[in-house]
Amino acid sequence: MVHYLFVCRSLTHAQRTAHLLERAGIAGSVIRAPKVISKEGCGYCVRVAERKLTDALMVLRREGMAPRQVFLQSAEGVYSEVTA
Amino acid sequence: MIYLDSAATTLEKPQSVPAASAWAMTHMASPGRGGHPASALAADTMYRCRELAAEIFGVGDPERVVLTANATHGLNIAIHSLVRRGATVLISGYEHNAVTRPLFARPDVRVKVAAGPLFDAEVVYEAFRRELTPEVDVVICNHVSNVFGFIQPVDRIAALCRERHVPLIVDASQSAGALPVDLTRWGAAFVAMPGHKGLYGPQGTGLLLCGAETRPLLYGGTGSQSRLQEMPDFLPDRLEAGTQNVCGAAGLLAGMRFVKEKGISRIHAHETGLARRLMDRLAGLPGVTVYRGAEQSGLFSVTVDHMDCEEIGAALARRGVAVRAGLHCSPLAHRTAGTEERGTVRFSFSAFSTARQTDRAAEIFRQIVSQGKRAR
Repeated sequence: MVHYLFVCRSLTHAQRTAHLLERAGIAGSVIRAPKVISKEGCGYCVRVAERKLTDALMVLRREGMAPRQVFLQSAEGVYSEVTA
Repeated sequence: MIYLDSAATTLEKPQSVPAASAWAMTHMASPGRGGHPASALAADTMYRCRELAAEIFGVGDPERVVLTANATHGLNIAIHSLVRRGATVLISGYEHNAVTRPLFARPDVRVKVAAGPLFDAEVVYEAFRRELTPEVDVVICNHVSNVFGFIQPVDRIAALCRERHVPLIVDASQSAGALPVDLTRWGAAFVAMPGHKGLYGPQGTGLLLCGAETRPLLYGGTGSQSRLQEMPDFLPDRLEAGTQNVCGAAGLLAGMRFVKEKGISRIHAHETGLARRLMDRLAGLPGVTVYRGAEQSGLFSVTVDHMDCEEIGAALARRGVAVRAGLHCSPLAHRTAGTEERGTVRFSFSAFSTARQTDRAAEIFRQIVSQGKRAR
């Protein structure tokens, strides 16, 4: 299954991101950022389903909480950065 | 015991507070230090604590709510963040040692005092207006005096600071949970408060609401940006090095839920009602001076002619009444009010104090004063 990961600067930021999404009816789970995408070490992400990407980004941009980076997690577990 | 020392710490808590802290002790691990459920549960609790505090205290962003060990810790961070070498700091005449000692420890800092008489908010405001001159870099003011319950005109002082573009630090130790406290409305740089007084959390908890740039007081692991040797430049991580007090945060969350449910204005009305009831009973006793005024919260001080305040405090304790006597870690407030040499006996109330306790305390106090007079 394909997911998108929104990279967050901190755990609290990730929690706030997930909370905003939840309020908009979008499920997002806070997870530790995989090492390969966490360049500064020990980061957190919010994971959303593939089909929710557009809605989630709209919600977060509206709240001034656009993610720093977005990664696609393929069904095989490979990460690739998504650029606008 | 009749507990009338809630200005130091509220002893009776909602049942949910010790239950939440005890549960956290064996079910919650380190937040931000692992991806397992016990860590996630702790992180969730910490976040809910920030989120509720942000809602109650007018902070737009829960990330700007920093969990501290107490109000003193928060005030030290705030002072460390804003007060630079050679700075001039304007403080009220009712500040606690939590403000004056960190400033005294900085010999390069000049401290001015905007002093005004007890319970005269107009004169205090005028003192701030007069003393807030261009060389002042930071203003620090407590919302309520921890000795006299004097409610200082913080709304107007905050407006003055905004108008003159001077950052304001508010010590809300005696007002959080009993009066409206609002970081955004005040436009304050920082608001510090304890968790264990009017928020009914455990001791060892506090909150710092941040409206300005911050400077860490403590350096160490934050569970974020671990490769970097600089502290993170974002909140709350920037100010929360080391493992946090999760059990305390769980209890504080329960305490804040209680305050929200009960209602701050109702708690204030209850506490001030009991304070007035006791003041009325003590005011008529011979030799007793009750320090009271219009701008007063649910705590007050008294002195008794020819009786030592500590002896009265000890006599009350022997009869099962808990109060605090002495200088209350606020020599400046006593100096301003003219009670520094003698000290005072302070009575303070909580949402759990009752009229029956108040009347009993009044009777015991009357007996002690009467015996003290006879012994002379």
